[in-house]
Amino acid sequence: MGAEKTDEELMLAYAGGDLLAFEMLYRRHRGMLYRFLLRHLRQRADADELFQETWSRLIAARERYRPEAKFTTWLLQIAHNLVIDRFRRQRPQASADETEAVLRTLDAPESEQPERALSEFEQRRRLQLALEELPEEQRLAFLLRIEGGLGLEEIGEITGAGRETVKSRLRYALARIRARFAT
Amino acid sequence: MNTPRRPDQDLERLLADDGGEFGALYRRLPRAEPPRRLDRSVLAEAARAVHGTRPRRQRWLVGFGSAAGLVLAAGVAWHVGHEALRQQSPEAVHGTPSYVPVKPIEAPARRHESKPAADAASAPAAEAPAAAPASANVAAETETHAAKPAVEKAAPSQRRAPAPAPAAPPAAPVAAPEPQPMLQSAPAPAAEAEKREAFGAADSTAASAGESAALSKQAAETVPKRERATGTPALSSSAELRRDMQLAPELWLARIQQLVKQGRRQQAIKSLQLFRRAHPDWQLPDELRALDR
Repeated sequence: MGAEKTDEELMLAYAGGDLLAFEMLYRRHRGMLYRFLLRHLRQRADADELFQETWSRLIAARERYRPEAKFTTWLLQIAHNLVIDRFRRQRPQASADETEAVLRTLDAPESEQPERALSEFEQRRRLQLALEELPEEQRLAFLLRIEGGLGLEEIGEITGAGRETVKSRLRYALARIRARFAT
Repeated sequence: MNTPRRPDQDLERLLADDGGEFGALYRRLPRAEPPRRLDRSVLAEAARAVHGTRPRRQRWLVGFGSAAGLVLAAGVAWHVGHEALRQQSPEAVHGTPSYVPVKPIEAPARRHESKPAADAASAPAAEAPAAAPASANVAAETETHAAKPAVEKAAPSQRRAPAPAPAAPPAAPVAAPEPQPMLQSAPAPAAEAEKREAFGAADSTAASAGESAALSKQAAETVPKRERATGTPALSSSAELRRDMQLAPELWLARIQQLVKQGRRQQAIKSLQLFRRAHPDWQLPDELRALDR
């Protein structure tokens, strides 16, 4: 019964005191949020910290939640705000070497053919490097789209940019990624 | 993937549901998950947030309950105090107590009452109260405090029992009426004045037997209503004497005569001695003069 509920219904239920609803909501979005933060921040410690902080903010603001906003948009908006704050306080960001070291520690899927695994590994590595090299705004737009599953309007809502601006950022991001694969 | 594509095509594919080829590639990236400790921490925080509001409500309820309890206790205390005041006689409350006249107890009931404890003392007085000889009264001086409570305990049942046809004269012996110590007090001034008017002019020496009986009856009627109603035990001897002192002289003498008839000679002598001290010039009836010697 609970699995059929939308994110918004679950969030409202939690705001009303239903802890089970929160657990369902958390299971649905924990991975997405964590990956978004990890790829955006490129530091596990930072990702861990902001992951927890994002959920804390959400819990604290549960009674102010209104279902007019899509839940994932709201969740990623909170996370994005925290990331922006972190970037402002912690410049310069992690170097490319540090980023690659972090990405290498991520577990690779199992049961892959060696040849294909090598190929897949290379492709993933290139994608990861390309994402790291993207300007912050482009990376954010790409991650919100590809990890958060948000549309142009929702990305614009979170980032404060217009629809065309978001489209432009995504275009540039894709061009840079493709360029990385072309080398 | 190495073939160049137009950016707009890539964007369209990216915005498609499957995210295009980059979406597929991205999904093949390591699926990093938050550590278990973060899961535990977040879920615990969510639970605290939900449960944290309940104790607040409970504390509020406890506070409200305590206040309600206090109000209830105060109300009950006030009600109990108010009831206690109402149950007290108005005289006791206002400091102007008086004795409420009651009917004398009939002789058969008295016989029933006195048998368990003091047969020798009370039986003759009950059977022939008016003509109780002095010799019998002497024997009745064996009255003790030990026997008295037994007599008094029987008083409630005696009062409850319906009295038979009053064959005995009005001055029939009654159980000594004794008010509660806390409520014992002097007669009301107004009532006493009336009694003085009724008896003050009468010469005690010329008092007839009928008058004496009437006085005895009136003295017996000085038993407080509350005592009779509640069946509380009678007073001690000294308390009786104190109460006698508060009677009008005529009633006091009648009371002494009543004590004699009840066979309580010793108590009658003590009461008479006190009377002599209080009213040295009062002329005693003949039957009490003999007692005074």
